[in-house]
Amino acid sequence: MTASTAAPLVAPLLELRGVSVSFDGFWALNDLNLSLAPGELRAVIGPNGAGKTTFLDVITGKVRPTKGDVVFRGRSLLGIAEHRIARLGIGRKFQTPRIYQNLSPRRNLELAVKGSHSPFKLLFGSLDSRQRQRVQELLALVGLETHAARRAGSLSHGQMQWLEIAMLLAQDPYVLLVDEPVAGLSEEETERTGALLRSLAGDHTVLVIEHDMDFIRELDCPVTVLHEGHVLCEGTMETVQSDPRVIEVYLGVEDDV
Amino acid sequence: MAKFRTWLPWLLLVAAALVLPAILPPFRLNLLGRFLSLGIVALGIDLIWGFTGMLSLGQGIFFALGGYAIGMHLQLLSLAPGELPEFFGLYGVKQLPAFWQPFQSFVFTGLCIWVLPALVAGVLGYLVFRNRIKGVYFSILTQAALLVFFNFFNGQQKLINGTNGLKTDTARIFGELVGSDAMQRNLFWLTVVLVMAAWLLCRWLTRGRFGDALIAIRDDEPRLRFTGYNPTAYKTLVFAIAGAMAGVSGALYTVQSGIVSPQYMAVPFSIEMVIWVAVGGRGTLIGAVLGAVLINYAKSLVSEQLPETWLFIQGGLFLLVVTALPDGLVGWWRQGGPRHIQAMVGWPPLAPTYPGLDLDPAAQAERQAFSSDVPPGGAP
Repeated sequence: MTASTAAPLVAPLLELRGVSVSFDGFWALNDLNLSLAPGELRAVIGPNGAGKTTFLDVITGKVRPTKGDVVFRGRSLLGIAEHRIARLGIGRKFQTPRIYQNLSPRRNLELAVKGSHSPFKLLFGSLDSRQRQRVQELLALVGLETHAARRAGSLSHGQMQWLEIAMLLAQDPYVLLVDEPVAGLSEEETERTGALLRSLAGDHTVLVIEHDMDFIRELDCPVTVLHEGHVLCEGTMETVQSDPRVIEVYLGVEDDV
Repeated sequence: MAKFRTWLPWLLLVAAALVLPAILPPFRLNLLGRFLSLGIVALGIDLIWGFTGMLSLGQGIFFALGGYAIGMHLQLLSLAPGELPEFFGLYGVKQLPAFWQPFQSFVFTGLCIWVLPALVAGVLGYLVFRNRIKGVYFSILTQAALLVFFNFFNGQQKLINGTNGLKTDTARIFGELVGSDAMQRNLFWLTVVLVMAAWLLCRWLTRGRFGDALIAIRDDEPRLRFTGYNPTAYKTLVFAIAGAMAGVSGALYTVQSGIVSPQYMAVPFSIEMVIWVAVGGRGTLIGAVLGAVLINYAKSLVSEQLPETWLFIQGGLFLLVVTALPDGLVGWWRQGGPRHIQAMVGWPPLAPTYPGLDLDPAAQAERQAFSSDVPPGGAP
């Protein structure tokens, strides 16, 4: 609660300053400015090719911006390796569920759970009781307790999506970057995912990229519209929907809006 | 009972190791010892390929380095003071090259056998992995490195006798000829012990969270990176371990073959190593050892009778595994392969029952409803 009311006063947790990315002359991101307050829930939408995934790639260190800066908790992320950015507290969920199919859900989570990730620690150390308890909690949270020992590759699509969200939570990040969390989920699963993401905001900063407009509406949070690599407009879903520019580039083609 | 079952394979192994030297003729025992030592390099390949997904076609480098380390030591071992290994005379070398000196020490050699290949693998691996070279590019790179080493060693007559290699069977350890039957028997036992140790090491590496991380690298490396892991550290470490195992394997193979030569770095030999693992079963550990021993024994048996046919058989075996048994012989066995054969010949094994299902009231009710449609005994 405090986060939302005090948002303008609090220094942003994550800030993109004039970020541009050029792939051989094609500008995937073009002077993108965006800032996230601590505890905020934010949705990012945009038509195909608007640069949504590149935008996540820039934050997580996979793509280095051609121009501009990414600042996380007062520190620039430029030139920092992906795994170090992840350790700083930025977790990412991919578009398609990316879990380790040949390991059980429990082992998936045990790999992701917060702690040292050095090879020697994994060889000679073992999980402490707090970490083991955390894994158990997360299995319960996403309803995979009874499937904890199965091969994760045999889970249903929805269960895989949830397992990946649980893996993200196991990292205990400040920022959760969630790319299309409800793609291919049933209506009920979509609803539960929305509730879960809303409950995470506050403790975490959550950024959701989604195509599903109903889902975004359900999240009931500020929306940022990307178009051709820059921010077209920001605001509540209602403001955004009524913005003529948005209707022109994106929402106009959607029948249900 | 469960305890007995875990110990049984080990008891059988120890019994076999004690009995085989008595019943096998020295020639066959020596062959078995050599092939078992190849099992160690195969275990290393299983570790980096089967678990971590890095197909190295250059394990011959590390194998040969281990072999040369022990070969140089044995060349120096039985010399009178001031004497040089015989081959140096052919090239007019009057003084022992400096890098030969430390190999007079057994302790140094013992360390060198595995530390040197591990270091070379570690450095090579680090440079490759840091630049995120993987997949087929990694395989090509390792093969290119193998060729570089092969050509270099071939050309160094004055340093290591070039193409001719170093002979080891005329050297003496504790007054006993390395090539003698008694010494070969001891080396066989040493090999058995080291194969078991290598297997235990690999099992320890792959069982826990470290092994899970290796599998995660194989299946989805970027995902692991975004979870906060540095895959380069893991890959470098595991590649160095596989290198060390290749070195030990090469040393054992050298003393049981009586020679180490650049042929150990020939391209086909390193590819064969991969075939052993593929046939035995990737990611199964025991399959790597079995593959190495079985294929090599088959090779020597076939080559004695029909020398020309072996390459065709080996190629056919590899094709069979790639197309029909992707998890190798051991993987096929574990997935109930024999049951399929049994079923094919019209003698299907009994299917397991589901006591949980039988006790489930919902299932019972459903069955009742179903059986009321069918008169008792009326179902075919």
